[in-house]
Parts: sequence; C-alpha cells; structure tokens
Amino acid sequence: MIECKNITKIFNQNRHNEQIALKNINLKIKKNELTVLRGASGSGKSTLLSLIAALSRPTKGEIIVDGKRVSKMLENSTAMFRRENIGFIFQKYNLISTLNSYENIILPTIPSNPNEKELTRHVDTLLEMFSITNKKESLVKNLSGGEQQRVAIARSLINNPKIIIADEPTANLDKKLSLEFIKTMQKLKQQNRTIIIATHDPLFFNLNFCDNIIEMKDGHI
Amino acid sequence: MFLTPEIIAIYTLNIIFLFFSIFAFIISINIVMHWNVNRTDERQYGLEKKSILVATIIKFIFILKLPLFIFFVFTANKISGVITGAMCAAGVVNSISFGLWLFVFKILNLFIFGFWIALHNMDTKDEQLSLTKLKFSIFIVAFMLLVIEIIYEISFFSSLNIDKIVSCCGTLFSVASSSSFSFIFNIPSSIAIGFFYLIFSLLVVFSFLKNEPLFLVINIIFFITALISLILFFGTYIYELPTHHCPYCFLQQEYYYVGYLLYITLFIGTFSGISGSILSMLNRKNRKDFYKKSLLFNSIYVAIVTAYPIVYYIKNGVWL
Amino acid sequence: MKINHYLIGFAISSLFRRDAKSFFIIFIFTSLIFLLSSILFISNSIKEELFITLDSLPQITVQKLQAGRHANIEISRVDKLLKLNGVQSAIPRVWGYYYFENAGVNFSIVGIDSFDKQYKKNFEELVENIDFDELEKNDSMIVGEGVKEILSQNYYKDFFNFVKADGELKKIKISSVFKSSTVLESNDIILMPKNLVLDIFGMSKLKVTDIVLEVANPQEIPTISQKIKNLFPDTRVITNSDLRVSYQNIFDYKSGMFLALFVVSAFTFFMIIYDKASGLSSEEKREIGVLKALGWKIDDIIKIKFYEAFIVSFISFLLGIIVALFFVYILQAPLLRDIFMGYSRLKPAFELPFILDLQTIFLLFFLTIPIYIAAIIIPSWRVAIMNADEVMR
Ligand SMILES: Nc1ncnc2c1ncn2[C@@H]1O[C@H](COP(=O)(O)OP(=O)(O)OP(=O)(O)O)[C@@H](O)[C@H]1O
Ligand SMILES: [Mg+2]
Repeated sequence: MIECKNITKIFNQNRHNEQIALKNINLKIKKNELTVLRGASGSGKSTLLSLIAALSRPTKGEIIVDGKRVSKMLENSTAMFRRENIGFIFQKYNLISTLNSYENIILPTIPSNPNEKELTRHVDTLLEMFSITNKKESLVKNLSGGEQQRVAIARSLINNPKIIIADEPTANLDKKLSLEFIKTMQKLKQQNRTIIIATHDPLFFNLNFCDNIIEMKDGHI
Repeated sequence: MFLTPEIIAIYTLNIIFLFFSIFAFIISINIVMHWNVNRTDERQYGLEKKSILVATIIKFIFILKLPLFIFFVFTANKISGVITGAMCAAGVVNSISFGLWLFVFKILNLFIFGFWIALHNMDTKDEQLSLTKLKFSIFIVAFMLLVIEIIYEISFFSSLNIDKIVSCCGTLFSVASSSSFSFIFNIPSSIAIGFFYLIFSLLVVFSFLKNEPLFLVINIIFFITALISLILFFGTYIYELPTHHCPYCFLQQEYYYVGYLLYITLFIGTFSGISGSILSMLNRKNRKDFYKKSLLFNSIYVAIVTAYPIVYYIKNGVWL
Repeated sequence: MKINHYLIGFAISSLFRRDAKSFFIIFIFTSLIFLLSSILFISNSIKEELFITLDSLPQITVQKLQAGRHANIEISRVDKLLKLNGVQSAIPRVWGYYYFENAGVNFSIVGIDSFDKQYKKNFEELVENIDFDELEKNDSMIVGEGVKEILSQNYYKDFFNFVKADGELKKIKISSVFKSSTVLESNDIILMPKNLVLDIFGMSKLKVTDIVLEVANPQEIPTISQKIKNLFPDTRVITNSDLRVSYQNIFDYKSGMFLALFVVSAFTFFMIIYDKASGLSSEEKREIGVLKALGWKIDDIIKIKFYEAFIVSFISFLLGIIVALFFVYILQAPLLRDIFMGYSRLKPAFELPFILDLQTIFLLFFLTIPIYIAAIIIPSWRVAIMNADEVMR
C-alpha cells in the first residue's frame, strides 16, 4: 500500500542552514495495517508523514502509495490524491477556529461540490459517532481540547479515505481522552483503513492491534 | 481624438489586458519550450504553478471581453450621435478604414479565448496534463491576435474624426456601396435564404450523426451564412424596410435590443459546436453534450429570425 | 456547470471572519465608486439640461467673420437671407457680454424689439407681458433673478450705471425681474430695447450681432446652410446640431479629464489592494496551508479569492452608486456641481434632472470592478501556490 524507497529529505539544501531531516529511509506498509512511528522530537516523523501525503517532495528517493508514484506527481494531482485517499489528523488539529464544527468537518469536500443531502447525512453520522452532535453549530474555538480532537477526526473521515495519517494526535489530551482516541483508531482499523500514527506517547507502544512500530532517530529508522 | 469616459474605460481595460497578457505570453513561451511531464525537477513544478496563473489570467480576460464586446457596440452607438451622418455603430465603425477588421478580430478572439478555456478545462481533468504544450502554443497565437485587436482598437478611437462626414448604415449596406461588405449584395437573397436553411438542416442531421469533423465544418459555415442571410434578408423584416440592411441598428432600443439576443444565441450555438467538436477530436472521452447545446441555441436563433418574416406576412399579407 | 455554493459560502464566511480588513477595503472602494458615479451622474444631468436648452435655440445662426474673428453683421443681409427657399424667418439679434467689474461677473445683455418675432420662446412671453414702449421711453431693462441679486449686493436697487464704449455712463432703470425657468442660461440675462444695447456697446445702427433663421423643414438645414455659405463667403453658419455636438464634446472632455484623474487614483487603489491581498497574517497562511493539505487545489484557492473579491467589489459598487444617487439627486451635489458649471457664478440655479441609464452603469462597472479583480490576480496566485507542508510543523 505504502512504499518508501531510499528517501532522503534535506531542507534548505546547499545553504548555511542546511538540515537533513530524513536519511535513506526504506519502508513498506501493507493495506489495513496500523503503524506507529515513534521517536524524539525533531527525529523526522512529521517530515516523513508529509512526504507520504505528498505535501512535499523528497530530495531523493521514491514514494509509492496505492500504486501511484506520489513523489513525482504534479501539484494538481497531489491535491486530488489527498482529497481521495488521505485523512489528516494534525499535530495541532489545525481546525479553523472561527468556523463551527460542521463547517470544519466539510472542508475537504467543498471543492468537489458535494451533494447537499448526502453530505448532511454523512456529517450527522460522524457527529453521532463521536458524540458531538450538540456541538455542530459551536465555533471550534469555544470547544474543549477533546471535542476539537473529535472534530478533527470527523473531518479526516468525511472523504472516506483509505489512509489515515495522524501526527501527535494525543499531545494535548489527558490519559482518558487518549485512550478513547486509541479505541477510535481500533474501530477505524476494523473498517479496513490503513493508519499511520506518529507519536512519542508511550500509550501507543504496546497496543495489541498495532502491526508495526517504527522507531525513528535523527532521520533514520 | 476623442476622450469620452467610455473610451477611457476601454483604454484602461486594454492596458490591463495588455499588461497581464504579456506576462502570460512570456510564461507560455517558457512552458512551450521547457514543459516535460516526465521531468521531476523544480523547474517543471514551477512551470505547473505558472501555468495555473496563465489560465487564471486568460479566464479573467475572456470573462471581461464578453460584456466588453457589447459595451463597444454601445459606445460606438453613442459616438454616432456626435459624428455627422452616422446613425448607428455601423457608421462609426466604417468611418475608419480598418473598422471592420477590428470587428472581425473581436469576434475571432472571443471564439479563440473561449475555446482555450474549454481546452484548459478538459486538460486539467487529465492527470498527465497531456494537452499543456498544445494549449500554450495556442495561447501564443491568441496573444498575437489580442495584441492586434488592442492596437486596432486604440488606433480606431484615436483616429475617429468628428469633422468628417460619414455614410450612415443605409448607404453602407446597400447594393451601391463600395465598402468591403458590398460583395454579398450580389447574392440573390432567395439563394442566400435557401442556403441558410439547407445548412441548418445539415446541422440538424450532423448533430444526430455525431460526426465531429462534419459538425465542426457545418457550424463554421452556418455562422457565416447566418450573418449573410441576416444582412440580406432577415434584417429587412426586423426593420420592416426592404432597403435597410444594417446589422447594427437592431441592437438599439427601437428594436427591443433583439440584436443582442440574436448574436448571443448564434455565438453560443456555433461556439459550442466548434469548440466541442475540436475537443472531442482531441480527446475521445470528452462529453458529447455539445451536440445538444449547439443544436439548441442554433435552433433558437433560426426560430427567431424565421419568426420575423412570418409575423410580417401574417400581419400584412404580403412579403417585403 | 453546477455552481458550487459551498465554495461561495466559504468565501462569504471568510470575508466575515476578517471583517476589519474587508470593511476597510469596502470603505475605500465605495468612496472611489461614489466619487466616480457622482461625476458621471452630474455630467449626464447637465448635458441633458443643456440639450433641453438647445432645443429652444435657433436652428441656424449666421455670424460674420472678419480676420477670423466674430464681427457684427450688416442688417441689410436679413432680406437677402429671407429670400432663400425654405427659410421661414430671419431675425437680427443684438446681444453681448457686459463685464461687471465690482462683482467680477459677466452679464448677457440681449436686445429686444417689439416688432421682431422673438427667437426664443421664453422671451416671447416676457415681451408680450411687458410694456415695450415704457421700457424704451424710460431707459429701463428687465433682469434675470441672478442679475438682480448681484446688483442689489452692490447697492444697485432700482437702476444700474453701464459704462458705455466711449467711457460715458448710461443709467438704466430696472423695471422688473423675470423668473428663470429651468433653463440653465437665463439666470444671467438682461433684456433691454435694442437701441439701448447698441448704445451701450457702441455699435452702428446698421449692424447687428448675428442673424438667426428658422427653417420650415429641419431636413433642409444642411442644404440651406451650404447656400448661405455660398451667398456670403465671409459668414460662419452654426446649426443647432453643430452646437449639440460641441456641447457633447465639451462635456465628454470635462468628464474625460476627471476620469483621467480617476484612473490615477484607481491605480493608487490598485496598489493598496495589491498590498492588502499580498500581506497575509500568519493565521491566514496557516488556513490556506490546511485547505491545501485537505485536498484543495491551487485553482480552488484562487476561486475563493476571486469570489471574495467579486463580493467585496460588488457590494462597494452598489453602495457607491446608491450613495452617489442620493448625493447628486437629493442633495443636488454640493461642491462637485460647481466644477462642472464653469465660469459664471450666476449660472447654477436649476435642479439636476434625474437620469440613470444602463450605459452609465455599464461604464461604472468597467471602470471599477475589473480593476479591483486585476489587482488581486497575482497576489491570490502567490498565496495559492504556497507550500502546504508548513502545517505539519
Ligand atoms: N520546512 C522546514 N525547514 C527547515 N527545517 C525543517 C523544516 N521542517 C522540518 N525541519 C527540520 O527537520 C527536522 C525534523 O522535523 P520534524 O518536524 O519531522 O520532526 P518531528 O519528529 O515531527 O518532531 P516533533 O515530535 O517535535 O513533531 C527538524 O530538525 C526540523 O527542524
Ligand atoms: Mg512533528
């Protein structure tokens, strides 16, 4: 499903502040696996995730996702690729704080001009699933951390993605909410999705439904 | 030289168009020279982003050019009040030797810019962007045409002369005229009308046959015959005057602006036929609904022009 | 193609979310459109008013030219002109401008004559109502309202001393004041018997200022004026439609000058917008990064920016026009109309007639909205191509 071949990522190449974030990474993740990327801060987890999601391109090497060479795609196609395949849960949630939950959840679908009825139904099921139905109209900035987290998950699922990428999803949550998040991930895995979670939260390190744990250090695996 | 507010507006927009299209032109040359989808270097990615800018600029220009065309006719009509002898836009346009060419370029450019956007929309649906080189080569040509049009337009307004007495449309569009139009008055109107309806029936047939090259050609011919028969025959029924052949006067209020309706339906009908056929030939997967659209609008056009003589006959019991 | 109302909704909501910025732009743009539309509305109205005045002007005016300048014409020519086919009447006119130094204004003095048919309908009524012989006997005159006002400001309550061509003073009584009708020009007019006018201006009794003709069939005006030219090669023949053309030119020229100024300010505006559209807060940048990460294409972002620009400019457009309509037609355009009325302080005493045509709206549209949109093309594109991977940091 996801394959990284000899990936190197260098920031600010050939400049005084050159930064090698990833070095020669080789990686294979199969369909419907849950992978945990662990490593200290600055070890390159987020960088790797953004390469897989085609948000940026590797300096060297090749990434193949679902048969597509995403590392070589043109910008336009990468957007379509993300829209159709990837669900994102960001480190800081990256919700738009001045929009309400509903508006945040539908963001990924807007450019493809969704059918209103189907969309509303889909959003309602998601809101129900994460028990935030009563927060549908609330501005995101007025929600608690846990609620924001759930809005972010709902948003990552609105396009029915095959792959879910979560970057430090529990960094701002207490233990109870983190455990809840883990349960949700388990559910999502049961729905045949491929999941990658980058984290240094020890709660993730001995999950029974986790398929791979990849340890990162200074851009190496 | 004249400096009416309308002309200043047209100049200002022309300057804006010129500025942006020169920008787009330079990028286009770059794209035509260096575009290569298989390359994965920064330059290729940069070109892709720039191509989006060019497309945005072209859309901007085209969307403004549509209403500007009408505004140009408006302006010419207004100036006709100041130029002795001119009664409508025709007199003004023909008071300058290249006035007619300005018009031809305006229409041509509308077709080309419109076609470019249709081509672009088709191209962006393709992951490989395989038409990109073609698209930008076409724009390089379109740019030249646009520049010619703008030069024509600026020199047109600056050489308008209010002291010169010009002919009005009544004499311009007549057998005796020596203008560039006059050759069409040698065509007997019965033949022109017969030909017009013949071409239209072929257009109907071809739209069911769904053969792109035939449909393309028939649309071009239809556009030309429609204009000729409009001047020769249908126009006289709009004015209810057997000698008035002007293709501009019916854009005026006295005729309920029917000219705009006629020209717009004719434009949409033939444009969608022509561009749809070309796009379909380029890409087999292209949607085929342009046949219907073209047929619909061309039929509306035919229905309106046909209605004029028939209503006249019913009211008066005779033909003009 | 289906309209994507989610995208439009998103554009509207992002305008609201940045209300201070949107408000600032709407405010500037509205003021600009207001100024421009006021200028066009005023000039249209004055033009309209002038054309109404023109309709009451003579169809043909014959003037003599000497050394390329306007000279007085022999009265004997009237009979010769009357003999031309198609000429219904020929009236000699005596008139001129009198500069009143104390107030710094010009009066138009028009000579009247009870025997001559009056060339202007409004004067006709006046002449009938007023006892002409009385005027003649008492050396008196009839003045327009504006003239009356200026004179009384200078303590001339019921007479005025004209300085004649030879330097002597001529005392003339004010017998009455006539109401200016809507006509733009009648406010500065003084009517008095022809002989008095000749006396004040020191003109020969055998000459008049010009001769105006009435023609039975307006279609013949060009032919007749050609004939007059042949008959008297030293004359200038002005027809009604000539005047209309030159008035239209003057006004188009005047509003053209304003427009040229406007274009300059519009480009300043362009720069402001360019700057505003380029300078994004880090919050906005992050937002666009998020959208791109969620699968929005460059095109989608540009579309949003265009919708925003169109909404902003359209709102400003409507607001600007509405405020201008109110300013021009309800408040009668204080300050601005003076610029258009030109030289004489006596002129402005009429209501601007209401005219609003599609063409002016069209014109306003093309002079404003495209400029705004053009200003945001490149900044929007720059914003839209920003790298999205920042959102992962
Ligand atoms: N756009 C960039 N420009 C320059 N350096 C960058 C950029 N993005 C990341 N880096 C550097 O690359 C290295 C890896 O960063 P990355 O964000 O992938 O780490 P991480 O493992 O996600 O850390 P954390 O746990 O703190 O999120 C860091 O040293 C970082 O400073
Ligand atoms: Mg990180």
